[in-house]
Amino acid sequence: MTRSASLDFAGPDEETTLESATTLDRFLASVERRAFRIAQMAVRDRDEALDIVQGAMLRLARSYARRPSEEWKPLFYRILYNGIRDWQRRGAVRSRLFGFLPGQRAGDDDDGPQEDPIERVASGDPEPSRQLMAAEAMEHLVAALAGLPARQQQAFTLRCLEGLDVADTAVAMGCSEGSVKTHYFRALQTLRDKLTEVW
Amino acid sequence: MSNDERWTETERRARELFDASVDGLDGETRSRLNRARHAALAEAEHARRSPWRTWLPAAAAASVAMLAVVLWRLPGDSSDRSAASAEGTPAAEVVELLATSEDIDVASEDPEFYAWLATRDLPAPNGAG
Repeated sequence: MTRSASLDFAGPDEETTLESATTLDRFLASVERRAFRIAQMAVRDRDEALDIVQGAMLRLARSYARRPSEEWKPLFYRILYNGIRDWQRRGAVRSRLFGFLPGQRAGDDDDGPQEDPIERVASGDPEPSRQLMAAEAMEHLVAALAGLPARQQQAFTLRCLEGLDVADTAVAMGCSEGSVKTHYFRALQTLRDKLTEVW
Repeated sequence: MSNDERWTETERRARELFDASVDGLDGETRSRLNRARHAALAEAEHARRSPWRTWLPAAAAASVAMLAVVLWRLPGDSSDRSAASAEGTPAAEVVELLATSEDIDVASEDPEFYAWLATRDLPAPNGAG
């Protein structure tokens, strides 16, 4: 049997362990890109988003790989949002410490994390004008999401963009299913009002 | 168009844009995510092969706390200790250091050293050294 070094799970229950490793590999591969986009929308910086996703993958693998695979997705997104929240807290501290310095206020940084919106859409579309329109629409979505309270952002992102059901979203957010529905409803109301005109 | 229809359209459009942005990820980002995933898988394997890594940090923290209590409670002349504490005796310094330690997880980085350290006799708190 051929296997990569990272999947070399030899042992008495070799078959089961190898299967678990393969399952974890498949799971991480299925969420990594979407998780990256979610993190990037939250922190607006590619490298920081990559670090947050890598941290979430490591934490899941280290601490929860033995849990049933059905539990991984809400756990992973809970870890991911914890990482995002920690990053935002560190940013808030940095702002308080250095905010008075020239060029350190939000939006003052010319080399900051803002990226060209064209990078946010698929490159397979042969129509540059359609790409640009999609990029602008995505920018509107990201800006509208950024204007929501954090819990509403999470509810909308996990339920609508990532497609988690209410129960898994509740686990990922660490709240009740009723709270998820309330946050989602309010997020959707606000987004509809903001985006209907620009879309 | 009713509200419900517009909400559905908002959701559909948001999902469509998000999916397109995921599909449009550049090669370098995909490559870095791939490497991160393999690092996570290696970590999972390491955790499986070394299950003690899971509980060692907690055990190390408990040992350190116990050590701090022992150092603090060691018998000695109470008047000497009171005077010495004000100046910062080794025991007091150790307790303070341990109490303010920010990352007890260092034990997992060099577990053999900490296992060796736990077996060593410690010097008296008021002794030289």
